[in-house]
Amino acid sequence: MKILIVLLNLFIFLPALAYGEDQYKFDLAETEKKPYHFGGYAEFRPVAFWPNTNTAQYKLNYYKRDPGGNTEEYNGKLQLEGSYEKEAARLYFKTNTDYKNSYFGESEHSTFYEGYLSLKPSASLKVDAGKRTFKWGKGYAWNPVAFIDRPKDPNDPELALEGYIVATADYVKSFDGPLKTISFTPVLLPVYDHINDSFGQNNYPNFAGKLYLLFYDTDIDLIVFTGGSKTTRYGLDFSRNITTNLEVHGEFAYIRDYQKNFIDSNGNSYLNEYDAKSYLLGIRYLTAINTTYIFEYYHNGTGYTEVEMKSYNSFIDKGYQSYLSTRNDSLLQKAATLTENNYGRVNPMSNYLYLRVSQQEPFDILYFTPAITGIWNVDDKSMTISPEVLYTRFTNWELRLKAMFLIGAKDSEFGEKQNDYRLEFRVGHYF
Amino acid sequence: MYKVLISSLVILLLVLPVYAIDGTQLLEQVDKNLNPESYEAYRKLINVEPDGKRKEYTLFTIKKGTDKIAAIFLAPASEKGRSILRLGDNMWLYIPNVGKPIRITSLQSVVGGVFNNADILNLDYVAEYNVESLKEAGKEYLLSLKAKTREVAYDRLKMWVDKNKLLPTKIECLTEKFLLIKTLYFKDHKDFGGGLVRPSIIETDSPLYKGYKSVIIYARIKRRDFKDESFTLTFMPHIESLRR
Repeated sequence: MKILIVLLNLFIFLPALAYGEDQYKFDLAETEKKPYHFGGYAEFRPVAFWPNTNTAQYKLNYYKRDPGGNTEEYNGKLQLEGSYEKEAARLYFKTNTDYKNSYFGESEHSTFYEGYLSLKPSASLKVDAGKRTFKWGKGYAWNPVAFIDRPKDPNDPELALEGYIVATADYVKSFDGPLKTISFTPVLLPVYDHINDSFGQNNYPNFAGKLYLLFYDTDIDLIVFTGGSKTTRYGLDFSRNITTNLEVHGEFAYIRDYQKNFIDSNGNSYLNEYDAKSYLLGIRYLTAINTTYIFEYYHNGTGYTEVEMKSYNSFIDKGYQSYLSTRNDSLLQKAATLTENNYGRVNPMSNYLYLRVSQQEPFDILYFTPAITGIWNVDDKSMTISPEVLYTRFTNWELRLKAMFLIGAKDSEFGEKQNDYRLEFRVGHYF
Repeated sequence: MYKVLISSLVILLLVLPVYAIDGTQLLEQVDKNLNPESYEAYRKLINVEPDGKRKEYTLFTIKKGTDKIAAIFLAPASEKGRSILRLGDNMWLYIPNVGKPIRITSLQSVVGGVFNNADILNLDYVAEYNVESLKEAGKEYLLSLKAKTREVAYDRLKMWVDKNKLLPTKIECLTEKFLLIKTLYFKDHKDFGGGLVRPSIIETDSPLYKGYKSVIIYARIKRRDFKDESFTLTFMPHIESLRR
């Protein structure tokens, strides 16, 4: 019996003893550098939608279908990344596969997000050739100066994006004094058949450049893009910490000869060419209790006015009524064509406010971050409100539950979206 | 008269030897004993929950001079490739998915837990603090430090320094009104080579996170010179290329 008690004690306390002995172990072998790396990210994301059948976007997307109330969508994502390094050269790739099972059926799309060769002859110079992303700009939700990036989703601004095929270099120099750093990034972005052909007009070599300065503790970027695939544009951005817990940032973009396509309520198409000015001002503020506020105002100089948006929605209504009475969907087809790259852009109107409030680890719960995000269309007073909770307790796992409520009157941007609200759960695993 | 004066002076020097030590010089020596001016280091950061559960992060860190320090996460996979840079009071975080450095504050924590960004990317104490007072406390000196600017993460520090080794044993981080934010404990002295013998473990707890603690373990610290350009926003995604 005594032996049993001793064994039982050993069984109970041995793990604790072992835990105490190597409580803080750090093996030097863990620090060995390997020339290669392979990893990735897998995600499962079911989404439930509560549609509003009276909205313009619902009519446009479902006029031939009847999903019969709430719909679900099951999304999967697999990203693989790897690198191989030898002396000053590094080969890097990142793939992305999206799988979707929704009311519209199954779809799968795989592509290389990035894949390039880097040569780094010194700490001051790096040359890249291949497909890569840039993500220029200082804004959190929007980046009007991101001239050579795909647009990001302000509802999920930290998602990885697909890049473009480029040749680029970074030259950086440090100094003592008020100008601490200067760096220059020239970019060649060719657009030809099968090379970056989604970027803009074909058969143009395009050039972009960014000059970065860390001047009087302020990050400053001067940006230019020229070529033929898109019109010439100039950008400026800045970011600075006013205090340890308050950062301010801004962007300004000047786009020459921007061409805006729009329609009236009868479906007549118009083209307006003008020099567009977009800008963004924002702050990031951290309180003493670890609440982070991100607040941004965005003026989209390429965006639609309230009247233009109302005309577009009216035209969809007319097209829908025409389809119901004649079964002829030509007007809706026209509206669908104009939606792509025009009215269907993320936040296509002119003035927006963004507010995100996140609380890191409330009630001493580690790795738990609740947040609420609001995007307000200043022009038509419609908005989205998205509460979420993020939990990262388990190493390499990320769990997020997020809802989105779309609120707005008839003919407003968010009031005419196809859903009233949605709920999604995201399980992500890094490996 | 002169004899009395000289005798008094000698007695004063004998009974109050601590006043012969300059606080700022002592703090400079503590900095020198903790780290070479420019170095590379491998560190593991462990967050320990009240039930003993842990989350671990491995970092490669580089530092140059008094105001430049950067680190890149090597593990776990969810954090790999994230890097943080500090130039004086300026701090940035680079997340591979986000693809660009964003400014962060010293009071935030990129890893959660008790350590904040200023703890993870700590500069020399003498670069950020003035010595307000120096006292003797048994086998230790007790330094009271006041932040030089409002940008420093903690307004005040109380630092206990081992008299023989001239290394800190404990640091209390305080607000301007002397409220305790956290306590750092320096443990397990280890010979890292090159004449550097210093604590290999820094443990911290905080009344703000009752029951939780965080630990930094140093596996390797090595004197190494870096170009200034290694401490720039442009270089943040490539800090790992400096590993040998």
